Amino acid sequence: MNSKSIYKIPNGKLLKISLEYDENKNTVSNVKITGDFFAYPEESIETLEDELKNMQLKKEVLLKKINSIIKTNNITFIGVNAEGLTEGLLRCLQ
Amino acid sequence: MKEQWRYLITNDFSAAKNMAIDRAVLVANSEGKVPPTVRFYTWSPPAISIGYFQSLSEEVDLEKCKKLGIEYVRRITGGGAVFHEEELTYSIIIPESHSEIPKNIMDSYARICGAVMKGLKNLEIDSSYAPINDILSGGKKISGNAQTRKMKTVLQHGTVLMDVDVEKMFSVLRVPNEKIKDKMISDVKQRVTSVKHLLDHSISFEKAADAMKKGFEEEFDIELVSGELTDYELELANKFEKECFANSEWNHKR
Repeated sequence: MNSKSIYKIPNGKLLKISLEYDENKNTVSNVKITGDFFAYPEESIETLEDELKNMQLKKEVLLKKINSIIKTNNITFIGVNAEGLTEGLLRCLQ
Repeated sequence: MKEQWRYLITNDFSAAKNMAIDRAVLVANSEGKVPPTVRFYTWSPPAISIGYFQSLSEEVDLEKCKKLGIEYVRRITGGGAVFHEEELTYSIIIPESHSEIPKNIMDSYARICGAVMKGLKNLEIDSSYAPINDILSGGKKISGNAQTRKMKTVLQHGTVLMDVDVEKMFSVLRVPNEKIKDKMISDVKQRVTSVKHLLDHSISFEKAADAMKKGFEEEFDIELVSGELTDYELELANKFEKECFANSEWNHKR
């Protein structure tokens, strides 16, 4: 399944997620995270997209994983955060 | 004696060249080959730049760009899509370790935007910083800004709107919903202003650049000394233009 979401982060930027997912397993197959936010270093967005593959599309799982990727790769997000990314991903399922 | 930084004016370059020059100065500065640099520039032909994380095909009507002779380029900085026509664009490139640059990214946006605001003040325009990355005058946006940090070096570039044609801007920007396009255009007209609108007359690029130059000198208590791009920077800029900013793989990568 392919799906998209557009989510305005509260007090932040406009997050646009394009998600390809496995309906039976409820997991991420492929994800593209776009929008007018900032991330340092910028290339870490590709790491984040890669590491989200095969993750369960469940709030706690995604939030934990995203926070751990942010920590491991020392990412600074501005205008978007782990909660916003999780919400954007889950909105693709609605 | 005041610290001296380099002052560059490079007018009427293509979108790819403009972005390549900012990156070339970033690299040269990170290697200690050139001093901190403040650059003012314009775009010819007009162009759209999109933020690093944006999808080109979702944000920009590429067919329309072609038809109207408007270029497009993906920046190395985040942020949103910008239509560059009647504007003064600035960039500042400076080591992250410089005492004038706050370590905290948001604080450094505020500091550099402070220079732009002092520049506007020199044109008798009052403005305020609106986090994350805008400057407003009379509650409307007059400047958008975007920063990256690479190789322990800060690059922030941004716009000062000299005049704005919202209809033209929207003719090349794609909106999520065509039905509400007219509403979006009128919203943006309400939210965006320009030097021309605020002063009731247009001013030359030179006059605006002069006011902005003084703004940077005041904010950072430095002297800006007119200079040129070095041969090394020109070489790097050519390379980045070819390999990156004029390359469709880069521009279409997201």
